[in-house]
Amino acid sequence: MSDVTLESLTKAYGDEVAVDGIDLTIRDGEILGVVGPSGCGKTTTLRTIAGFETPTYGRVLFDGVDVTHVPPEERNVGLVFQSYALFDTMTVRENVAFGPKMQGVPKAERRERADDLLALLDIAELADRRPTTLSGGQQQRVGLARALAIEPHVLLLDEPMTGLDAELKTRLRDEIGELLADLEVTALYVTHDQEEAMAMCDRIAVLADGTLEQVGSPAEIYRRPANPFVANFVGSSSLLAGVAENGHVDLGFTELPVAAETDGSVQVAARPAAFELGEGPIEAKVTDVTYLGDRTRLTATLPDDTTVTLHADGIDGYRIGESIPLSIDEQRVHILE
Amino acid sequence: MTGDASPRADGGSTATGNSDAASTTRPDGGSVTASQNRRWSRSGRALSTLLGRPIVAGVVAVVTAFLTIPVLVAFVSSFAESGSGVLPTGFVTFDHWRKVLGFGDYGVRQNAIPGLTYSLLIATGGMVLNVLIGVPIAYALARYDFYARDWINTFAILPLVPGLILGIAFIQTYPEHGRSSLGLLAGYCLLKSPYMVLTVQSSFQSMDLVRLEESARSLGASWPRTVLTVIVPQARRGIVAGAIITWTLAAAEFNFTHKVASGSPDPFAMFLYRNIATNASYLQSAAAVSVYFLIVVAAIVVLQLLGKRGFSTAHQ
Repeated sequence: MSDVTLESLTKAYGDEVAVDGIDLTIRDGEILGVVGPSGCGKTTTLRTIAGFETPTYGRVLFDGVDVTHVPPEERNVGLVFQSYALFDTMTVRENVAFGPKMQGVPKAERRERADDLLALLDIAELADRRPTTLSGGQQQRVGLARALAIEPHVLLLDEPMTGLDAELKTRLRDEIGELLADLEVTALYVTHDQEEAMAMCDRIAVLADGTLEQVGSPAEIYRRPANPFVANFVGSSSLLAGVAENGHVDLGFTELPVAAETDGSVQVAARPAAFELGEGPIEAKVTDVTYLGDRTRLTATLPDDTTVTLHADGIDGYRIGESIPLSIDEQRVHILE
Repeated sequence: MTGDASPRADGGSTATGNSDAASTTRPDGGSVTASQNRRWSRSGRALSTLLGRPIVAGVVAVVTAFLTIPVLVAFVSSFAESGSGVLPTGFVTFDHWRKVLGFGDYGVRQNAIPGLTYSLLIATGGMVLNVLIGVPIAYALARYDFYARDWINTFAILPLVPGLILGIAFIQTYPEHGRSSLGLLAGYCLLKSPYMVLTVQSSFQSMDLVRLEESARSLGASWPRTVLTVIVPQARRGIVAGAIITWTLAAAEFNFTHKVASGSPDPFAMFLYRNIATNASYLQSAAAVSVYFLIVVAAIVVLQLLGKRGFSTAHQ
């Protein structure tokens, strides 16, 4: 069992509170993604789990054991950084074998373990090379192998793929995701790339200003955001204001046959996919068009002056100022309670 | 104008036409034929590129010559019998070397070898002290932020104290250590430490110290082990450079040595002093200086070899 529990984790630097009372569990074997805007506390949280920051208040538990004051070298956590931080004076194999060496594993065994991991990560042929001669993607694999070599209680990845090109990212993402699942490693994956988090992680935690806004599976976060912040942060979202009554929501210019839990004024989060373009009772005026290759992103204004984000297929020739008819698919909206 | 005219970046325009008789008007009103223009348009902007490289090479050659020719001439003349003319004559003789090193009967001069060896040892001692003291200072300055860090940094890297002043102050403060090896060691270390701190600090600054330390610690290495087996080896180029600079400067330090050195054995500086400033012949001085250069070159080579082999303790 390898889980990590954060209990009321708080970290303040003088007057500035970086992490404010976070309760979170990374379950055994899961990859938990942590996303949020810059300064939201995700890196501080990661460093606290690693042991490089001591919380001002709260605890860190590994399998129920309080490790809050245990020094980093005794926690058995694997770290993968954005800048890789490989040891230039050692070969790749020596880098990977460094952790086991600190653990007292005998030479032959740690050499074998290193070679096995390098093979698993498809870089066996680089074993005798120096880190400075490797490409970014290769260095990243070495960093990962080095962290895995100690059979860590939890693997902490701090934006490891920033700085790699898009194609490499997609490929590595799939490979690493599979590898971590196969090895059943418990991992915390901090990133600002939402697509990466959605693709790789079993669950995602959304942080803002040091607090945990929501944690759930990618689908839950996307389709049922808990509040406007999450709705806006993960993917694009349009927020519509309406009044809920008698099993439907009145938006003013149209009605949605969705039931809210309590009557009264509500906010409805609608993803771009919730809007059907080309026909419907709503007249929207296009205010911006951005062609993105596989789709066109449109910004439009609804009759009540709400701004919405829409997606259209490829080049559909929408022009600024044009009026398009829309309808809203009530199956695809989410009422924020 | 005939042919196509295209505006040049500097505002003039060139005709790429084919007739030599065609001409263009220059901004200052003069006119220029197309063929001349073609030359300019090809090499006008390229003038600096054409001449730049030879000029730089020339400057480097002159400076190198300026620095090395005196050394070479001294070295070569030290083997000559007479140097009164423009060029030394009467090769090859080892008389001057023998006189300078104290072999053979040339009167009161004693064997200089013990003195030179003594000097080597003291300079090496000063260098070692500098490594032991300077590397941690450089690390602290590069890694941490602390109260008055910038001031300490400034004092650490500026060689503020002149050797003469330090020598006098030392004798006055520690009269009983006045004429001793301990005094020389302390002085050499103190006087030359800024050079070590500066080179090593710049080495550390070019590394991601925080991330390296955290990587190593998360892998199970304690902080001391991290610093000694991961971080310091990665700075070895800076350390070697600092060691070389410190050693050669310590070996050549005259002012401090003159004040603090005891009668015998004679450190380098005194050895050179006696052979140059006093009634030595020009060629004798040449021999003395050549001895010095040989030793310095040897020291540099040795330190570089040591550096290449590395301090790495990571073996597989």
